[in-house]
Amino acid sequence: MAENTMQAMPPVRPPRGLSRDAVVRLLTLPGVIVSLVVLVLPLLVALYMSFTDWSPRSSSFFEAGFVGFDNYSELTVYDTRFLYAVLRTLCIAAVCLSLEFAIGLGLAVLFLREFRGKSLLFSAFLSPMMILPVVVGYTFWMLFQSNGPINQMVELCFGPGSSPEWFRSAPLAVLAVIITEVWHWTPLFFLILLSGLNAVPENPVRAAVILGASPRQVFWRVVMPMLKPVIVVAFVIRTMEIIKLFDEVYMLTRGGPGSATETISLYIYKLAFNDFQLAYGAAAAFLVLLGCLLLIHLLLSPVRDQLLKGGR
Amino acid sequence: MSKPKLELVALRKDYADGSVPAVDGIDLAVQPGETLALLGPSGCGKSTTLNMIVGLESPTSGDIQIDGRSILGVPAGKRNVGMVFQDYAVFTSMTVRKNLAFGLEIRKMPKAEIDRAVHEVAELLGMADRLDARARDLGGSELQRVAIGRTLATRPALLLLDEPLSNLEYAARLAMRRELRRLQQEIGLTIIYVTHDQIEALSLADRIAVMRAGKILQVEQTTTIYDTPDHVFVASFLGSPPMNLLRGNLEAHGQGMLFRIGQFRLQLPPPRPGMAMPRGVTLGVRPESLQVVPAEAAPLVGQVLLAEPRGPEVVLTVESAAVQLKAIAPSHGRPEEGSLVGLAVDPASLVFFSNDTSHRMELC
Repeated sequence: MAENTMQAMPPVRPPRGLSRDAVVRLLTLPGVIVSLVVLVLPLLVALYMSFTDWSPRSSSFFEAGFVGFDNYSELTVYDTRFLYAVLRTLCIAAVCLSLEFAIGLGLAVLFLREFRGKSLLFSAFLSPMMILPVVVGYTFWMLFQSNGPINQMVELCFGPGSSPEWFRSAPLAVLAVIITEVWHWTPLFFLILLSGLNAVPENPVRAAVILGASPRQVFWRVVMPMLKPVIVVAFVIRTMEIIKLFDEVYMLTRGGPGSATETISLYIYKLAFNDFQLAYGAAAAFLVLLGCLLLIHLLLSPVRDQLLKGGR
Repeated sequence: MSKPKLELVALRKDYADGSVPAVDGIDLAVQPGETLALLGPSGCGKSTTLNMIVGLESPTSGDIQIDGRSILGVPAGKRNVGMVFQDYAVFTSMTVRKNLAFGLEIRKMPKAEIDRAVHEVAELLGMADRLDARARDLGGSELQRVAIGRTLATRPALLLLDEPLSNLEYAARLAMRRELRRLQQEIGLTIIYVTHDQIEALSLADRIAVMRAGKILQVEQTTTIYDTPDHVFVASFLGSPPMNLLRGNLEAHGQGMLFRIGQFRLQLPPPRPGMAMPRGVTLGVRPESLQVVPAEAAPLVGQVLLAEPRGPEVVLTVESAAVQLKAIAPSHGRPEEGSLVGLAVDPASLVFFSNDTSHRMELC
């Protein structure tokens, strides 16, 4: 049977006059062209644009003046609004990721046991992740209205007049963004950590128990180190996502009050589409890309060996 | 006889889902400094027994005593029982030093003492120069040494080894077996050694307990259990190739008895004084007790069906009157496949099992 199949498919012979290499190149050419046009070209155009002062209102793209690193120096030295947006995004990221990790880990540990309705709760806990960010933003915008359901509950608990105006105070607006984001993305941490915990081998845990370790010691000294690569991967995925935080904030606050909740993406969006400073916005985007690469590199460094070589 | 180190009393374990008990009322006493091998096929309850001794599972009924005191109420980490796993279960994220120190750090021992203990154990296992290696960079036998050392550092009263050599390749397994023998002699630990490898059991243990289906069939000195198994299963489990077991009938014949299965006949001496001759019996004879002799004057004559060389010796499958027997012969001058050979056997090396109870009887 196996021999027949072999005979049915004689070795592929290239058309006369073409070497094997030439055929390979010819066949991959369409893919290469498409990816050049779709991926590389826009990137190069944007990169070039970031070194000009082009705006669709002032001149055509080809007449735009070349300004060298002006946009970049403006961004990094003088544009405090950009710097604050970066810092704000990083702070929101730090708080959100810590909360998401802590809650996700707690839930994952709870789900290691058997209990009634486990599979139902499992699906329920995962569902926020599957909702469109725009819909989550809109839903929470509704929930946080001054006479919305959340405030109604607050008044029920603490009496009339105790409910806050979520979107009129800077700290509360940031809090609303954080609550929305944590609600939306904790399930991802939960899912990744749960699968990581389930993959932890049983015998090292048993060995630690026999050597006298308490459940807490077993968890922190034996289980968590084995979970480290999984945790780092979860953080890398979520960091990349949250640095791009846009939809929920746009729906909730539009960056307000003032610029209290203005994230990097929101600021760049306003630069490009409110002020039409496309070149300047492109420069900002490239700075963020560089920063992002650096951040991911740092995050991955403690487990890079383990991930690439595959530790036992 | 001194007081036993470990005593299992009518130990039983039922699982909620199974109708058959995993461990079915076993009694066992292990003396201080003794190495006892628990031998049996997979699923016979060996590992469940170990788990109950170490405290990972609690028995349904029965008692476990160490030095005469019940340890059933003592949690797993406080029983002073060490355990080594088949897959090493070393903490791969730590260095060798951290692994060896783990149990002592948990016990909050002073740092200087931990250092001393770690060095002592590393010295004993020949790993003193590997202390700062990361465990994930170690090979199989080194990992198992770390696992054993990690347990020894806590000075357990009793060491349980759960198939510790099964994951190692052949050469490493032999080396570790020698290492374990040396450790036994140097520190005189009390060891329970679970294995399904009978050669390992025979070469490491003082006594062997053979388990089947949750019951201990026989506990006996290693030297005696091989020659005089108490149960048909023990006879069939020990030895490679295992004992020839022939189920047949006895009848009086001349001065002695005649054992027969159809046309197969073997003349036996008379039963011991006071022993009645049973009708049905299973006759057991070790392959190495069967001697190949010229076919002419032999008590058994048969045709060689198969000759399997094993280096210095050859395992012959001989068919005599529709009964197949395994025999071991020296490799040089071995009979050809298909040829006729004679087999002689010393009646003193025969064992007999009752066909009713499967237990051994002292027939002659």
